[in-house]
Amino acid sequence: MSALYAQTLANGLMLGALYACIAVGFSLVWGVLNVINMLHGSFIILGGYLAYFAWTHFQVPPFVSIFGVAALLYLLGYLIQYGLINRVIARPVLTTLTLTFGLDMILYNFMNLAFTATPRRVTLDLGRLEIAGVTLPMDRVWAMLLALAMTAMLFAVLRSSRIGRAIVAVRMDRDAAALMGVRVNKVYAVTFGLGALMAGACGALLSSVFPITTSVTGLFLGKAFVICVIGGLGTVPGALVGGLALGLVESFAGQWFGPVNAILAGFLLMLVLLVVRPTGLMGRKGYE
Amino acid sequence: MLSAKGAFRRKTLALLSLCAAATVLASPLSAQTIKIGAPLALTGGLADEGKKQAIAYDMWLKRINAAGGISVGGKKMKVELVQYDYQTNEQRAQQLAEKLIVDDKVDFLLAPFGSGHTKVVAGVAERYGVPVMATSASSESIFNQGYKYMFGVLAPNGGIVENLTKLVAKQNPKVKKVAILGREDVFPKAMATSMAELAPKVGMEVVSTEFYPVGALDLATPISKIKALAPDWIYVTGYSKDLVLARKQMADLGVKAPVITMITGPAYKEFIDALGPLAEGVTSASWWHHSAQFKGNDPWGTTKAFYDEFVKREKSDPDYVHAAAAAALVALQKGIEKAGTLDKAKVRDALASLDVTTFYGPIKFSANGMNAGSELPIIQVQKSRIAVLYPDRVKQGTLQPVK
Repeated sequence: MSALYAQTLANGLMLGALYACIAVGFSLVWGVLNVINMLHGSFIILGGYLAYFAWTHFQVPPFVSIFGVAALLYLLGYLIQYGLINRVIARPVLTTLTLTFGLDMILYNFMNLAFTATPRRVTLDLGRLEIAGVTLPMDRVWAMLLALAMTAMLFAVLRSSRIGRAIVAVRMDRDAAALMGVRVNKVYAVTFGLGALMAGACGALLSSVFPITTSVTGLFLGKAFVICVIGGLGTVPGALVGGLALGLVESFAGQWFGPVNAILAGFLLMLVLLVVRPTGLMGRKGYE
Repeated sequence: MLSAKGAFRRKTLALLSLCAAATVLASPLSAQTIKIGAPLALTGGLADEGKKQAIAYDMWLKRINAAGGISVGGKKMKVELVQYDYQTNEQRAQQLAEKLIVDDKVDFLLAPFGSGHTKVVAGVAERYGVPVMATSASSESIFNQGYKYMFGVLAPNGGIVENLTKLVAKQNPKVKKVAILGREDVFPKAMATSMAELAPKVGMEVVSTEFYPVGALDLATPISKIKALAPDWIYVTGYSKDLVLARKQMADLGVKAPVITMITGPAYKEFIDALGPLAEGVTSASWWHHSAQFKGNDPWGTTKAFYDEFVKREKSDPDYVHAAAAAALVALQKGIEKAGTLDKAKVRDALASLDVTTFYGPIKFSANGMNAGSELPIIQVQKSRIAVLYPDRVKQGTLQPVK
């Protein structure tokens, strides 16, 4: 039985890594721009579709196309923020939420029309790793590494690069940053572009793990939301911790109470944290 | 003053007579088309299935109208389809069914995909006494509500599972332990419960029965549990997205069994496309497969004609959802022709006693409104193609163990 528990733990960590991967970009945009990006789930699926088409039409595997997909999504995110969201960025959070909600409906329905909702998958299986009776699927191991790399990269960018410091400065005080010569609109656009880039990269990676279909966009968005609340808003490591926590809770709850109750356990964790520790596991009051 | 009043009266009279003329003119015009209402899931979780229905409806509509329409009491009447997207939202399906009946004044209704939403729409139709054709509901629980106006072209779930257990017991006698994983949803759950009931009858032991929720993103936990039980037969129910995920995760976690059944995965082309080599050897049962050929008196005439038109139009193979959606309209058409009127109660009676053979196969409704059906095909993916294992007269192969 202990082998089963070891497997459940491994399953939870693997799933948690995918969850972290899903939530990193969402957390960045929410934490830094204070925009709840309703487009996030559709960005992930768009990334998945692009990787899928690169695979079926040009035989480019997702691990290569991921760079192109990420670049395209960055461009898309940059343009959306620069051209549209920037116009209402200073308004209350509900306004930007409504705007991204509307944009999401457009993107979602566009994908539904163009690609249909047929579930597709990149039929590339990377095999599995067996360690002491525990089975680790290789594509999830890669997703875990990618999620870690993304978190590290984001952390490094925000901490030590020029644009990263500008992003943090704008978040702290938009007017002061502007007075210091930071081009605020451009910084916003870069941040949103980074969020989209992460969603796209995540989608490309997931294209061989999960069936890609438009009907799961809401599911991804919902998970990202829960993870951010659990992990803490505005901190990048929060997405990682929140993702892993949710993955583990769902995995063990599924084992003990059946898969139907696993999702319930995730939401219960979120509710308990909202009451006991509203800043989330890694959250702090104030800014980075 | 008087003359002004007279002028007013004349104008009113003229207006009234115009109105009357308009109604007289309009009524035969509108009566010349038969209106059929269809709430469809064109977006949301069932968008894929909803679109399939829409394609089949359109194919039938073009055929029937090209032939001048449905013959009602010796007169040809064109058909108009009124469809709305209910966004895979049960409540919206209910509201739209009501709107179709009350606002759009449709003569007949088509139910959405799946047993759950069919039940909701059928409930509304029953209240208004509008015949409703269920294109893809196969859970007997839906048909045992006592609804008089609902007719479904799919045969009951139980029959499908029974054929399957018998076939596996006969062709692979080593199979003893069965693990069942079902989606917590009307049809997939019914198929899983049927299996749990029927497997012991052929001498098999059910080692686990688990259900996963509708919004499941990951199935690692239940699949790891199944692995520990080492079953000979893994039987999973759900819709394409779930089944692709389940098969992929079974491979990821190194779960193997000589028989893997996914209801109704291989019946869909996208299941095989999305899984590639992993689809090999997966068995399923289906209500219809284009390899089983029928001749019938309907707008297509043969299964092959339907298949050819579909392939030409969509550049892919039709599955049972397409065929059943078209067959539901064919059955309705036959019912109207038989009744010779658009009177809803009379068409209902005509449908109840209908007995026809179509491109889809025989259609004859039992007392509860379900197609009595017979010889539902059992299929297996062999060399990336579908091989029919049953019924014997259209058989293309025997059950092969999954490698």
